[in-house]
Amino acid sequence: MKIPRGDLVRSRVVDDPGTTLATALDRRLTGYAVFEPQDAVLLGDETRGVLTFEAGIPTLAYCTDTDRGGADALNDLVGPGPYSVDLYQLDDADLAEAHEAEDLRVPPGLPAERLAANRDLVTRTREAAPDERLGDGDDDAVTAFLADEAGIEAIREQAREEARARAEEWGLTDALDD
Amino acid sequence: MVEAFAVASGKGGTGKTTSTLALGMALAEEHDVTVVDADTGMANLLFHAGLDDAPVTLHDLLIEGAAVAVDDAVYERFGMKVVPCGTELAAFRAADPERLRDVVAELAADTDVLLLDSPAALGSKSAVLPVVLADRTVIVLQPTIPALSDGLKVQEYARSYGTETAGTLFNRVRDESGIERVAEQAERYFGGETLGVIPESDAARAARTAGEPLLAHAPDAPASQAFREVAKRLDVRDGASESGDVADRFRSAVVPEEV
Repeated sequence: MKIPRGDLVRSRVVDDPGTTLATALDRRLTGYAVFEPQDAVLLGDETRGVLTFEAGIPTLAYCTDTDRGGADALNDLVGPGPYSVDLYQLDDADLAEAHEAEDLRVPPGLPAERLAANRDLVTRTREAAPDERLGDGDDDAVTAFLADEAGIEAIREQAREEARARAEEWGLTDALDD
Repeated sequence: MVEAFAVASGKGGTGKTTSTLALGMALAEEHDVTVVDADTGMANLLFHAGLDDAPVTLHDLLIEGAAVAVDDAVYERFGMKVVPCGTELAAFRAADPERLRDVVAELAADTDVLLLDSPAALGSKSAVLPVVLADRTVIVLQPTIPALSDGLKVQEYARSYGTETAGTLFNRVRDESGIERVAEQAERYFGGETLGVIPESDAARAARTAGEPLLAHAPDAPASQAFREVAKRLDVRDGASESGDVADRFRSAVVPEEV
């Protein structure tokens, strides 16, 4: 993956890669982040993961150590943390060529799912992603979502409470099924 | 005999209106079907059914004191009875959502299957009433986290009002390779069964542009065939035996009888 060097936005050590993903999303950043697991630093390894963003939405993932891209690259990067992360900004045009590499693409929500296990961030990222990025490509993320029984039960419980509270507000309490 | 289904999704863009009309047309081969655009805030069924110019719509029936009969808003189209809703914001504001109950009761007295195209929202009384009034829901999903999550919310809202899920369908599916696994997992959380998987279809977009339901515009398209399969799997139950009882059922569905 060839990407021009961008302007450094921030450089820090994070326990949770979700922090970086959220920063990129909130800033609608176009550019890339370089993740370096700290255990790799200690061991003198060269494991680095690069994740590019288009207007805050993760687009490509690549792992320098394993030379793998896409979801595989994310898997290579998963670890206990912390990570040393540099976040860079670029112009859209600088990434156009790199972003043609289909084999390196990741579904928008997958980095938040894999690296941070942060469902809220997954949802937030997908909501901000353009429609054409929301194919069915991230079956893995959907499968992980549906496998999380406690998470699903939490959504249902919250909806039940909300339904009852609003029924009262709208004068529909009598229609509730007891 | 009548069973009222709310076709619901919670999330916009799942193709709920396309689904409602497709199911309506498929079910109309065996049943007397009435389709109602119960999305009174963001109506769009009229565009899908070529009823843009309908002089009387559901909005007119929901305005207190309006001198129109329910029949005036019923249009025979594509082998079904179609009740469109208008798109004017002023009419929506003037509409009394509670009156939907009476409209549904009256329509129910004269049909076998009532399909309520429900709003993609849960934030207001008018948005929730269709799932309150319906006997069961058909939940339109897509294999994405937001669509599944919103589908679960709609299901819980409906269940809070005693409205069980008849089944789900996955619509606008672009890649069918992973859908089986997703559908199987989703079945653990949704009531009823997975009624079908509908492939993403250019024909659906073309149908909307042409102002025709998908099954009329492209009856042989794979998506049309898939919708027919969904309709076959949806077991329509007998409601009350006499029409009078049916009307009462809906009238008492929200407001208990006064003493």
